[in-house]
Amino acid sequence: MDEAHPPVVVFIGQPNCGKSTLFNAIAGPKAEVSNFPGTTTKHTHSTVIVGGRSLTVVDLPGTYSLVPLDPAEKVAYSHLFSERPDLIVNVVDASILSRNLELSLELLELRAPMLVALNMVDLAEKKGIEIDPAELERRLGVPVVTTIASHGRGIKELLDKAFELIDRKPAVLAHGWSADVAEKLDELAGLLPDGFCSGYDERFAAVKLIETGNLACDGLLTDLEPVFKAELDRIRAELERRRGVPAYEVIASERHHLALKISEEASRLRHGPRLTWDKRVDSIIMHPLFGYVFMAAIFMLFFLVIFKVGSPLESLLLKPLGELRLWLGARLGTGLAYYLAEGLLQGVGGGIAIVLPYFLPLLMLMAFLEDLGYLARAGFLLDTFMHRIGLHGKSVSPFILGFGCNVPAVVATRILESRRDRIITSLLIPFIPCSARTTIILALVAVYLGPVWALGFYVINLAVVAVLGWALSRLVKAESPGLILEIPSLKLPSPKAILRKTRLQLMDFIGFAWPLLIAGSLVLSLVQYFGADKAVNLALSPLIAAGLGLPKELGVTLVFGFLRKELSLIMMLQALGVGYKDLLSVISREQLMTFTVFINFFIPCLSTFAILWREVGRRYAFLSVGLSVGVALALSRLIRLFF
Amino acid sequence: MRLIEAPFETPLRITGIMGGEGIRRRLLSLGFHPGDEVLVVSRGILKGPLLVRNLTADVTVALGRGVAQKIVVESDHG
Repeated sequence: MDEAHPPVVVFIGQPNCGKSTLFNAIAGPKAEVSNFPGTTTKHTHSTVIVGGRSLTVVDLPGTYSLVPLDPAEKVAYSHLFSERPDLIVNVVDASILSRNLELSLELLELRAPMLVALNMVDLAEKKGIEIDPAELERRLGVPVVTTIASHGRGIKELLDKAFELIDRKPAVLAHGWSADVAEKLDELAGLLPDGFCSGYDERFAAVKLIETGNLACDGLLTDLEPVFKAELDRIRAELERRRGVPAYEVIASERHHLALKISEEASRLRHGPRLTWDKRVDSIIMHPLFGYVFMAAIFMLFFLVIFKVGSPLESLLLKPLGELRLWLGARLGTGLAYYLAEGLLQGVGGGIAIVLPYFLPLLMLMAFLEDLGYLARAGFLLDTFMHRIGLHGKSVSPFILGFGCNVPAVVATRILESRRDRIITSLLIPFIPCSARTTIILALVAVYLGPVWALGFYVINLAVVAVLGWALSRLVKAESPGLILEIPSLKLPSPKAILRKTRLQLMDFIGFAWPLLIAGSLVLSLVQYFGADKAVNLALSPLIAAGLGLPKELGVTLVFGFLRKELSLIMMLQALGVGYKDLLSVISREQLMTFTVFINFFIPCLSTFAILWREVGRRYAFLSVGLSVGVALALSRLIRLFF
Repeated sequence: MRLIEAPFETPLRITGIMGGEGIRRRLLSLGFHPGDEVLVVSRGILKGPLLVRNLTADVTVALGRGVAQKIVVESDHG
């Protein structure tokens, strides 16, 4: 193996098989782990050095099969074909062996070097299932290594085996088919045009052609010759006539029955399923009544923890910053140096004292709920309400993620099968108060008007989302396929995984938003020093002063609010030239509310706008801006009427 | 009978899946095949989705009412 191009090993498995945990144990904390189907939407890769040899490891999104049904699965599918890995590591959840084996069988059809990681054997044992890896190995024809990724067990054995297979390149045999299916597959394989999908097994190509039929698949099933296409249709029709079900179902049921058979032969039931803790917990949190009580409690807790932890922390941190500011004023006078130092202080301090105290507890709670598997359950519970606004329960998880940050939430819409659902969900996400906006709501509304007002603000915010969803789903017509969502078994998240996930998200803030925050503060300071803010304020004053009834000094904050919402608060203080404590001396409560409403809705932040552009297209990114501005204007008018 | 009309906690066998290719493929990939034994565990409030346990694959899924309407089952007496 030459060192410049280390062998490529891809990790592939069904959602929630512990693939990302296993991958992390090998590659370090570079991929996200989660218990909700499909959060690893981008593949992650990294080069590791084990025993002096380097290896490129790739973590593909969890996929149920190799027939891509949503954009996340498409990533796994096209990667497997374009990159030609040196080894496939198929991670299998031992606790739901037979269904996981359906993917294993499909992978075997590729006839590429493969290794099965039989993961979560501890969970299977708890369910009373004992699996014989040797028997599984014999039946599948590829090596099987037992692992418990969450405890780091079996990792070394897995890597040793991986290197052995990379060196040895053993031939892999696909599984067998029923005689009638095999006959048709061979017939089709014999008809394949020259050079069709070269390098892969001909029978594999035949299977995929029959299975995918009229589904467009990147790279593999592009332009078929008309003559060959007619032959393909004929063979599919014959198969369908013989079996009485669609061709793809013939193929799927072949694998299904074989997987069931293998799983029965390789496992032994030691005792019946016991009522384990997760079943008991599930009977409460999924209960038609208590489930909602529990969910409401979780959201209240969410709110409370952030407020109870965030607020005291914030005042603790703000005090020394205020003193530092006074000290700077005394030392530096009113020259350029003071403006620069103050801008820097506002930027750095704002990040530490205003954003982090709220952001950090929120991130940790989110990570906990995600790893626990609660997000899928929330999807089940909220499905009926989502139906009222034209969506279904699968959109719940992107929405909840949106409370943390809108950007990953928009990316998470990839788990939705229909483009219509993706578009509506993506357009609604910018209206979800992310942690940055929560900071503003908490710091302005909760502190100056009281926690009840902040809660009311949240409720109104969610009502806006509902009304918009209802309206959008009437505009974007198309059938939604309805909810089909796996509810993974509850897993007690490991503190390590939560910390790792929190750190990852936090690094995004520190690396991306904080520099913007500091730069923004500095620019604003300079703008003030040179008096250019007057020009911006003057240009925006028809909107700010006449339209919203706010002090015209706040014009500049809107410009910076676009960069990142949490800037708005710091910028507001800076623009008004007061400390956080003295805010109400220069601005009325009504103005405070109007400002919060306007800044909360008026435009998706720059990163959200960029991600919308990338994920659903420019048209919808601009539509989102239009929607936000419209809603912000309408709502702030309403506030002025009723306050 | 359709899955949506099925009684709770009673073993049922899937005899067919109606509806379009999208739904059929999605159900197949989640491990729901004709012939499998399933159990309706609970139902969400206000015409909410069904929580369905597939005893054959040992997998639990939430199915929207529209989806449950398209799954044909018969009561399973061993």
